[in-house]
Amino acid sequence: MPLAFLIPVFSFAACPLIILFQRWLPLRGAPLAILAIAGGFVVWILATVGFLAASADHPACDVSPITHALTCHFTTTWFDAGVPSEIITDSIHLNWGMLIDPLTIVLLGLITFVALGVQLYSLEYMKGDPRFGWYYAWQALFVAAMLTLALADNFLLLYIAWELVGLCSYLLIGFWFENPGPREAAKKAFVVTRIGDVGLLVGILLLWVNVGSFSMTEAFAAAASGQLSDGVITASAILLLLGAMGKSAQFPFHVWLPDAMEGPTPVSALIHAATMVIAGVYLVARAYPIFAASPEALMVVASIGLVTALGAATIALVSTDLKRILAYSTVSHLGLMMLSLGALGWTAAVFHLMAHGFAKALLFLGAGSVMHGVGAHGDVDIRRVGGLRRAMPLTAAAFSIGALSLGGIPILSGFWSKDEILLAVSHNLPVIFIVLTMLTVFLSALYMARAMFVVFFGTQGEDSHHAHESPILMTGVLSILAVLAIGFGWIAFNWPGAFDGFGTFVFYDHAEGFHFNVVLGVLSILLAVGAFALAWLVYVRRTLSIQSWRARFAPVLRVVENRYYVDETYQWVIDRVVLTVSAALAFFDRAVVNDVGINGPADVVRKAGIALRLHVTGHVYTYALVVALGVIALAIFWWLRSV
Amino acid sequence: MVPLLYFQLLGAALFGIGLYGALARRSAVLIILSIELMLNAVNINLIAAASYLNGIGRFAAFDGQIIAIFVITVAAAEVGLAFAIILRMYRNRGTINVDEINILKW
Repeated sequence: MPLAFLIPVFSFAACPLIILFQRWLPLRGAPLAILAIAGGFVVWILATVGFLAASADHPACDVSPITHALTCHFTTTWFDAGVPSEIITDSIHLNWGMLIDPLTIVLLGLITFVALGVQLYSLEYMKGDPRFGWYYAWQALFVAAMLTLALADNFLLLYIAWELVGLCSYLLIGFWFENPGPREAAKKAFVVTRIGDVGLLVGILLLWVNVGSFSMTEAFAAAASGQLSDGVITASAILLLLGAMGKSAQFPFHVWLPDAMEGPTPVSALIHAATMVIAGVYLVARAYPIFAASPEALMVVASIGLVTALGAATIALVSTDLKRILAYSTVSHLGLMMLSLGALGWTAAVFHLMAHGFAKALLFLGAGSVMHGVGAHGDVDIRRVGGLRRAMPLTAAAFSIGALSLGGIPILSGFWSKDEILLAVSHNLPVIFIVLTMLTVFLSALYMARAMFVVFFGTQGEDSHHAHESPILMTGVLSILAVLAIGFGWIAFNWPGAFDGFGTFVFYDHAEGFHFNVVLGVLSILLAVGAFALAWLVYVRRTLSIQSWRARFAPVLRVVENRYYVDETYQWVIDRVVLTVSAALAFFDRAVVNDVGINGPADVVRKAGIALRLHVTGHVYTYALVVALGVIALAIFWWLRSV
Repeated sequence: MVPLLYFQLLGAALFGIGLYGALARRSAVLIILSIELMLNAVNINLIAAASYLNGIGRFAAFDGQIIAIFVITVAAAEVGLAFAIILRMYRNRGTINVDEINILKW
């Protein structure tokens, strides 16, 4: 377990090696990245075995007084900085450190596993790309940064990893930077998440000023013991949430994620399932002692989560691009996770994070397989493909499993995790929340059903005549993920003699058994099955027509199809507010700072110089004359003094 | 014995002529000649003063003459250097008229 730091280190090492030696390595160094992440996966297994065997007797492990979960802490001094002052009574100790608790363990497992799958899949998907080596170098760095983020025991290390994740997402989304689309999407992702990152940085610094340390355990202990004032706790929680909203694409920072599908599809799978977007949810889950100490902050988390989940679900329902539907579905499900965190459903949120991660990786890789199959690079308009079930049976089966799982069809993993969230919401939040969450669940099943039925069932579309099944490597990865999308949810149960259930391993404050509320369960089954049945009638059997509905709700539809004009609002704010203020500032800079403050003194000196230089004629006799006159003047002066 | 004042007047007159020449001449060669004139005026002053003041007060024998010999030596070396510079000047710019040589400014 002390060697868990190797998990990210392998991939960190792979990145520069690939960049430097890709020309001489087989397959441009791709096997190096895959070996690195596979090594990380093996170390993760060993660390997990070690963690499960460890108890509070282990010298580095202890049962945390806040989360009441077994927490192992390995740390080593990095450097000490600064001199003691009035605010900080001690110099700043910076550490490299790992905090290993059940949350870290499950997250590391998700990241290494999905990244391994994505990198294997990319061998086929990215074959022949001119920058194949660079792709794998950035992949390795991306995964390494995300793993560091999950392991970090202090906020500073977390922030470094956080920014590295942002950088790698920029590099990978803009991987095909020759085209304007990926270029703009990469910039958008970087800038929008950066807005949230500023909040995160300020929040970390606020905690540091008040706690006197970057250490997470110390900050959480201070928050739980009441050492911090309520105002500080709420403020830092909201600021941390800002960072999480940026990375996890919560309203109003969700705009970058749907555009991020401009990158290669495996990258989208990685971003949506295992890295980047789950960083925000992870941050809130990790810093939960701070959030839990502030009911206001929890309410904000829940509200933002609900707004995001519902809004994104409606947009996903009317989108026509396959990857865009999946992207908005991610936004919606991230909203559900936030909602669950806000509703004290910590375990449910982490569980849904895992279940959604496997299902969404499966769906995106399936979408990539579809694009590979129909020969599209870029958008797959679901109105132009259809009936791919016959040409791509394996992909169709895998995608359908992912869709059914996310749609919440029973016994698939998404059903169990979604049910836990519903339970937490119905217990701890006002009744309006559970009603809207139910609506979200229904919409979520509906849009997944729509995507699945239109693309793989129904009549053949015009783009799908030449479709063919993808290579074995791609379908193999899909199959493994499909198994997980089906069966992962089963670890929530109490398996007598083997395992007591997810809630007894990953929990906050107290271990939770598996709950199942019959009313909520039946209701959500009815909603999910109803949604799939409805979609089947509309898109496959075509016995129901939605044309009249579309006409009746045309104005609403237009608003939703334009994604609630959030992008336009951003554009308006940038054009009218930001640029106007910038223009005023630029004018001030030019007219006052530059012309008066800088060129003013320079002009005075220059004019004085022009006036004064006239005596310099360059003629040697002028200088000699001045010397002679000077000597005569000195002589007269001396003579007058001596008299 | 010729009074000291006569020598001093001769030296002052020679120095004045030399100074005028150095300032007013346009030819670099003539400026050098004028400088030589000023140096020799100083030499006359030195030698005259030395022979009149020999043995008086703090002055030792031949002090003035020794300095004069130094001046002559330095003047010879300086002329060698100066004419070398003037020669280069002529080669480079085709003239030794100092009116046209005014690059030593801003």
